[in-house]
Amino acid sequence: MSDREQTGRGIGRLTGRAESVLRDTLLAQGAGVVGAVGRPAERLLWPVAERYNRRLGERFGEVTGLQLLLLVVAFGGLVTAPLWGQDYLRPLTLGAVWAVFAMGWDIQSGYTGYISFGHSALSGAAGYTTGLLVLHLNPELSLFVTVPLSILVTTALGLAIAVPSLRLRGPYFSLVTFVTVLLFYRLTKALSEWTNGLRGIRVDVFTYDLTLQYYMVVVPMLAVAATLTYVGRSDIGTVLIAIRENEDAVSAAGLDPTKFKLWSFVLSAVPMGIGGVLLAHVNAGVDPQTFVIVDNSIQMIAMAVIGGMSSILGPLGGAFLFVGLRDVFLVGLGEELRWLALWLLVLLVLVFARDGLFRLLWRALGALGGDRR
Amino acid sequence: MLGDIASVIVDGALISAVYALIAIGFTMVFGVGGVLNLAHGALIMAGAYTYLSLVSDSILASVTLHPIVAFPLTVVIVGLISYGLYVVLVRTIEENVVITFLATIVVAIAFTELVTLVFHAQPYQYSVVPGVLQVQALGTRILYVELAAFVASWGAMGLLWYYVTKTDSGRSIRATSMSERGAMLTGVDVPGVRARTWLVAGGLAGIAGVFLGGIGAAEPTMWLEPLALAFIIVVVGGIGSIKGSVAAAYIVGYLQTATGQFLGQSVRGIMSLVVLVVVLLVLPQGLYGTEFVHE
Repeated sequence: MSDREQTGRGIGRLTGRAESVLRDTLLAQGAGVVGAVGRPAERLLWPVAERYNRRLGERFGEVTGLQLLLLVVAFGGLVTAPLWGQDYLRPLTLGAVWAVFAMGWDIQSGYTGYISFGHSALSGAAGYTTGLLVLHLNPELSLFVTVPLSILVTTALGLAIAVPSLRLRGPYFSLVTFVTVLLFYRLTKALSEWTNGLRGIRVDVFTYDLTLQYYMVVVPMLAVAATLTYVGRSDIGTVLIAIRENEDAVSAAGLDPTKFKLWSFVLSAVPMGIGGVLLAHVNAGVDPQTFVIVDNSIQMIAMAVIGGMSSILGPLGGAFLFVGLRDVFLVGLGEELRWLALWLLVLLVLVFARDGLFRLLWRALGALGGDRR
Repeated sequence: MLGDIASVIVDGALISAVYALIAIGFTMVFGVGGVLNLAHGALIMAGAYTYLSLVSDSILASVTLHPIVAFPLTVVIVGLISYGLYVVLVRTIEENVVITFLATIVVAIAFTELVTLVFHAQPYQYSVVPGVLQVQALGTRILYVELAAFVASWGAMGLLWYYVTKTDSGRSIRATSMSERGAMLTGVDVPGVRARTWLVAGGLAGIAGVFLGGIGAAEPTMWLEPLALAFIIVVVGGIGSIKGSVAAAYIVGYLQTATGQFLGQSVRGIMSLVVLVVVLLVLPQGLYGTEFVHE
């Protein structure tokens, strides 16, 4: 979530206003509580952050003291969740799965600006590979066989989508991916003697122990988060962002944008495969409604948007926020009203805080550290 | 067999006109503002449900209008919704292509939920023009509503053609889609043109919506298929080209109808996708388009 990802170009009038309001409340009036608590805390934490920056800053991005605190608290919260959130293990588990999806979407669409609506087809491919193997080949098949195979198939499908569509520039890509999802959905119905149509395929859960299941999801999620953060901060991430900002400049620098776009799609298909397998086992089955329909792609996009596109960790936070609102906090509103409220929230974020809520938080914390960096 | 072929020819010709109407609205909005309006499908749905509410006594008991009154009223209402969508939302964010793109799809999804909330998920059947025309010589039958859709669509396209070639207001739309800077230099009010284009595109979507709902049914997921078709048609015809949209609508429309008739309804979409991929690889700018320039 470093500032170098942000060029001033896309920041509109309204976003500027929203940010300046935030800055006013947090900083200009910083004599308030936040500043009074934040600044000493920052001073206290800075030596730790400095040590982190020296060791890992180059690979994962430099942080200020409070930013490091946020990361540590979030990480600690996730790892110790069964201790404090026994009642919420199910939403937390789902949040972790969707975080994998949102991050997978982000490394491709968020970074390169080539918005994909096809990612629910990728997660669907993984889920269905597992499901079909279990249903038609051998119900006893070990996870060590189904998981790698599912991820492999997802990657292959990702390539099959990406190779023809990523040669194109601009909006064509998004249009093709959108149509792909509809087609995939249609296929699950057309091949219903294999896929059981709308009923879907039953898959065994990992385990009935919710705590264990939570860890079986959170550990891969954290691994994906670390890997993609590393990639995003590396030269590859820089090139991907450069493609979003000015593709011609990337070509002019002697780099082939198509090649990088392809790799970003592959890089994104692998997490989608992992997430798809996880979701299949957490949900004890795959069916078109929970995997394939285009709404799922749009949910991934919504999570990334709420958190802050092209920051990996932003979409991670966005996913937990979205699932939390969806499955816990807004449940009382009833089915349709809940979704309406969620989509309106996403729309508000898009219009007034297009950099994402978590990126705003991150910057606000960073700003408390002054201009030491 | 002969009857099958005849019905493909007739059905294809009729439904393709509606597809063309959808694609034209979609491509016009893109042409003048560079905005891919993913809420275009939602406008189609708005057309179906508005018409339904106006004519049927089961929704709004106090309002039951004759189709002759309800139809133009629906077109105006959907046009105004589209206009409002542009002025309230899109205008404030249109300088960022990606954000606009995402915002319009979120609008579409939110609208789906709104429709589900108000009308519930079940499909509503309604009739625009009742009756069936038997064509004995060809051994096929045509629904009057399909015929009405054909006539209305071509009528609307004729009016549109007159508007964009003969009137200043319409020609400024074409000028803006050819070259925004050029239009500005000749004194065209570009923001006004954009708003007007959204109004027109909304009206066209409204017409399409009334008939698509009449032929099939009004339901909250009815926007997906037409939107995907509009994509395919617009890409095949060339993004930004009205002529291309009409030609491609007929290609895709016939392909859909023929695969549906001879290979089964479940594979209807697949042929269109194959055509889409082939066109993208062989002729990325489409039949009549200039390739999209990412500015």
